[in-house]
Amino acid sequence: MFGNNRLPAFHPGLTQSRIRDTTTGSRLWFPGLRSAPPSESSPSDSDPANDQLPLPITPEDLYDTPMAPFNPYTYIRCPCSELNPYAKRTPDVTAQGLSRAAQDDDDHTFDPRAARSNYSLYPLEYLSFCEDCHQIRCPRCVAEEIVCYYCPNCLFEVPSSNIRSEGNRCTRSCFQCPICIGPLAVNHVETPPDPNQLLSPDHAASSHSGSYILSCSYCNWSSTEIGIKFDKPNSIHMQLAKLRNGGETRLTAKERKERRKEQASQGGGGGSSSTAHGEEDLDTLLDMETQFANLKSFYQNQLSDANGTGKAGGDASAALGNLGFDAPASLSRIMSLYTGSSSLHDKKSKSRPGTMREALAPSEGLQLASLDETSAITALQDFEPITGLDAYSSTASTTQLQSQAPYLGASPLHGLTRFTSSLRPISYLLRTKRSKRCPQCRHIISKPESKVTTTRFRIRLIAGNYIPTITIKQLIIPGLTPPPMPNLPPDTIEPLKPAQFVLTFKNPIFESVRVTLATPATTPGRFPSKVTILCPQFEIDSNTDVWEEALKDNNATSSSSQSQNLSSSTGPEGSGPGGRKRAGTLRPGTAGGASLAGEELGPEVGKVWERGRNWTSIVIEVIPASLVQTAKRDGRGPIKEDEDVLEIPMFVRIEWEAEAPEDEIMPGLSSAKGNKDGGKEKRELAYWCVLGLGRVARTL
Amino acid sequence: MSASLPHRSVANIRAPTPSSRSGSHRERESSSHRDRDRDRGERGDRDHSGTSTPTRPIPTFNTPSSLRAEEELIVIDFGTRKVQVGFAGDSAPRGVVWFGPEQQRRIGDFRDWQTDYQQDWRSKAAGGNWGRDYELWRPDVRGLELGQVGDKVEKAVREAYTKYMLIDSRPRRMVCVVPTGLPIPLLSAALDSLFHRFQPPTVSLLSSPVAVTVAAGVRSALVVDLGWNETIVTSVYEYREVASKSTVRGGRKLTEETHRFLAKELGHVQQDNKDDKQEYVLSFEECHDIANRLVWCKPFKAEKTPKSSPPQPASPEGEGLATVEESDEDEPTTTTTTAGEKPLPPPPKVTTVPIRSGRSPTSLELTFDQLSEPCENTFFDSQYSLSSFDDHETPVHLLVYRTLLQLPLDVRALCMSRIIFTGGCTTVLGLRKRIFDEVSHIVQERGWDPVYGKAKEQLRTNPKLKKRNGRQTTMNNNNNNTSTTPGGVSPPTAGGAAGEGTAAPPGQEEDGIWHDAANSVPEVDPIEAQLARTNPSPNSRKPLHGQLRAIESLGPWAGGSLITHLKVPTVSTIDKDQWTQHGVTGATVRAADVEAKTQQRLSWNAMNRGGREGKEPWTLGVWGAA
Repeated sequence: MFGNNRLPAFHPGLTQSRIRDTTTGSRLWFPGLRSAPPSESSPSDSDPANDQLPLPITPEDLYDTPMAPFNPYTYIRCPCSELNPYAKRTPDVTAQGLSRAAQDDDDHTFDPRAARSNYSLYPLEYLSFCEDCHQIRCPRCVAEEIVCYYCPNCLFEVPSSNIRSEGNRCTRSCFQCPICIGPLAVNHVETPPDPNQLLSPDHAASSHSGSYILSCSYCNWSSTEIGIKFDKPNSIHMQLAKLRNGGETRLTAKERKERRKEQASQGGGGGSSSTAHGEEDLDTLLDMETQFANLKSFYQNQLSDANGTGKAGGDASAALGNLGFDAPASLSRIMSLYTGSSSLHDKKSKSRPGTMREALAPSEGLQLASLDETSAITALQDFEPITGLDAYSSTASTTQLQSQAPYLGASPLHGLTRFTSSLRPISYLLRTKRSKRCPQCRHIISKPESKVTTTRFRIRLIAGNYIPTITIKQLIIPGLTPPPMPNLPPDTIEPLKPAQFVLTFKNPIFESVRVTLATPATTPGRFPSKVTILCPQFEIDSNTDVWEEALKDNNATSSSSQSQNLSSSTGPEGSGPGGRKRAGTLRPGTAGGASLAGEELGPEVGKVWERGRNWTSIVIEVIPASLVQTAKRDGRGPIKEDEDVLEIPMFVRIEWEAEAPEDEIMPGLSSAKGNKDGGKEKRELAYWCVLGLGRVARTL
Repeated sequence: MSASLPHRSVANIRAPTPSSRSGSHRERESSSHRDRDRDRGERGDRDHSGTSTPTRPIPTFNTPSSLRAEEELIVIDFGTRKVQVGFAGDSAPRGVVWFGPEQQRRIGDFRDWQTDYQQDWRSKAAGGNWGRDYELWRPDVRGLELGQVGDKVEKAVREAYTKYMLIDSRPRRMVCVVPTGLPIPLLSAALDSLFHRFQPPTVSLLSSPVAVTVAAGVRSALVVDLGWNETIVTSVYEYREVASKSTVRGGRKLTEETHRFLAKELGHVQQDNKDDKQEYVLSFEECHDIANRLVWCKPFKAEKTPKSSPPQPASPEGEGLATVEESDEDEPTTTTTTAGEKPLPPPPKVTTVPIRSGRSPTSLELTFDQLSEPCENTFFDSQYSLSSFDDHETPVHLLVYRTLLQLPLDVRALCMSRIIFTGGCTTVLGLRKRIFDEVSHIVQERGWDPVYGKAKEQLRTNPKLKKRNGRQTTMNNNNNNTSTTPGGVSPPTAGGAAGEGTAAPPGQEEDGIWHDAANSVPEVDPIEAQLARTNPSPNSRKPLHGQLRAIESLGPWAGGSLITHLKVPTVSTIDKDQWTQHGVTGATVRAADVEAKTQQRLSWNAMNRGGREGKEPWTLGVWGAA
């Protein structure tokens, strides 16, 4: 199809803003920069067709979404999402899947609106490029290695051995506010001397009245709201681990272990003596950490008893325990390391299914459920005693709860906090610096500096340095483009009218690149818009030095038109003198009257629109579908979020000739074809990308 | 003495006296490994006396850290709303990733962070998709894009890897804790995604009820999983699932009921036409938030139901209140006070709930009686007769009772005293107690008798029929603590054989055969017997059975972590190569085949292990085969 045929004739009704545009000489209209909305009238008074329609699509529906200014965008689909080895085999039960499978065979076009495509689309800035495989690498298809761990708040590096033992959070004094996740600061508070405590001996007074609090400077939350104060201004993490909300102290895991060891040494027998005193504390509340530890030691005892021959096995493991292996599991892990058996197929435990009993006491990990939650219910119903808030305001929101760190000091189900008074300061999650490797050739793609505070990279192969960038602008030629409908909302494309966009491809590499574009004739998905690429094949000059370009400026015209002729697929008419060529900054509008009179006929088929040092622009023409009419016809509900954005899937294939690596034929590289002549090697890269052109107006 | 030497010199290696070297070596503990190794090598060559102290006393056992890192096993608990990921052996998962619409956006789409951005939930909710973005999958796989499930799994696990676990992308073995009733297509999609993107050498599957049982420290339990899509009651006996029933009354229904309740309070008339074309006036997020914060469950009222469950749709107080209040919301009046443990004071307690996602932001004043209504409707629906429910929407307490009733006698006796509540809806205040009380009420009322109703009452009170069972009835009277009234046709009663239960009829007639349970010898439990043999301590307690009791569990993730940490082999361990070759179709149907084959193989080539044959059978265990 030829875009020229679709262009309507000159329309006399030019709006003010258009004329002003011509006077300033800018020929491209940026949708985001348009000065004023032509009209704000509601569609129902100007559009009688809307009223006749029986379906309940109200004007409210049409303008429901806030009209944020739209910026055209480009997303690139990483080719790795096509390489799923399981895609063909998985039985696809859905009808949708079956119909898609039929298309899948060869003629498979990419649908940016499909539910899955959001997971494989990336902006160019997020992509890397493997120089050896000549392939785009997305965050999903790189192998990562950790360079260092650090706290994003204090920027201290954490050694990797601490990650396993201390967990994934900062163990210094870095905390986030549980209400607003702002950073918390340690502040000193002056506590008025308590007369009772003055009377009491000094030790008791000083040990319990902390004088440091955590406070949020953003929402004024402070740890006094949960009844926690600290003795020291440093190592808050350790102090907090020992405190429950309300200031009550609790044993940490290490202390508990020591205490248990004492008990065991006193009681001697271990299991039997613990059950004896386990009788009375059957309803004591274990916190999660304790229960897990108790369960673990209980099971380990049981398993070692069952696997070993009764008492002897237990003694043996106890003897080993004195040597530094406190758990039989650790022994078996070491054994398995040296014998090479995998831990999941532990032969020993498989061949001899041991007998073990269930846990009977809290010391063994059994915890009776206290189902009586009336205290919490009354707490919910009563006004919060301190703050005077009602039930809604005194409960924590779902997002607040989800950002809480798991608190092991609470008993299992009661640990799921509900009230804001039971929230705890969130210790900062540590972060990592990672280096990335190509999963195939194992070459490093990105490697940051190992120091925490530097943002520099040693190696960083980003895709923007290898594949052309695409920028999109709407093309408005005064006199050729019909004026928009008067009631069109701002920043939108008119449905059912051809609109033209200029795509500018900028070449980052030092070889000239030949680009082939392809797009489905109509966009896939619910709202099929017609798409025509006016010049699907073209060449971009190499990214040479700027000065070189300036020196060559005189004869640049002839060379570029030749190269365009070579690339143009549409045959002889491209070679004529009318072949459009615009050099860099030179605009015909300002150049003189000749271009205005003779050549201002709009974009031509098969011709490059504009061309510069390392960039080439082409024109793409779309006829957007009518959203409202289609939505009424197909009965699939109202227009969803972002469904009004005109998105075009485009298959981009770029070819270039690169310096061949000296006589090195790399195995398994499909993209690098061994077509060598004179040290040059032909390379190609192909991928899908998605162009977001603009919002289609929800009129008509 | 070489103690004075700060460094070891070559001369020192060559010509020390054997006695002085052993002494000096200990002081050089901090010298480099290479030195030490060289030293040891020389000693091995020249010094065979064996009198010297060992050169490396302890460090031999210190495994290199690289090997230790390889041992890291990753436990993943898949839920409908969230994925919990952590290392085996930890007591809590390192990270919990919730599913939500933000996660499904493209990378680089930061509109969530724009101040004026409001999510257009209304158009997304169309077509029954209200809240679907917040779920990983749904049990109905028709029309579900399985690839998207895989993508969601991948994104969540990747987020957990990078944000919470802080680990690199080296392949690690994985253990997945998966609900038993998960459809195979979903399981297959999740496994595809894990194998493709994370390249684990093996993935083991653990059933979540069993993991919950392990995390409670018991061998048998009745796991009541108040989950998102459905509530599943699973009976686990000796770490095996023996029965499972489910109902749609779960978190999703609770949120929907909350929405319905709030919409009613906002003055929207809901035409109740089977939820298909239901119009949503509030966003899922807001309803879910309110349900999490404020919805609670009323305590059980004993006098509410008459002795035998009435067949007519009775109007208990809770429901009557709600219908009354529908007319006058402005001055909420409590027509009834909650009888029982917690009487409400006359002025009803009110909370103000801001509503933001409606057409215009308002706030609602809600009493707590009203706020218990969604929970009441979701889990109990007590205004309807118990016989009026379909199989898929049985009220939760009835479901628990029926699951118990269906179980064999011994299993029931063990399970009923090990009831574990787990799942997201356990956070609803008072819900667990209410279910527990309701169940014990049914048990008190009916006993363990599947037959109930008027006819049975008549049969019981009919003197003529009584005569035939005369002997049994008198024996019942003798057996004093029978709270139940076993009819003539009652099936085995819980705890009957054990003789410890509250309900213990000594003998029953079943299918015309007389079982004299009182005089029969209780069957010997081989495990108990062996335990008694190995551990003959006098004060070891017998496990409790025969009475209703609830216990706490640390949850499926912690159970999976425990099981993996203790190196218990799983029935279903999937090898990456095998999965790549065959996929889900390669799984053998019967787990027994695999076990037999594996044992055979182990006996065959116990020596040359590592030569893994490709044809080794594997199974998906309880998840079945495609």
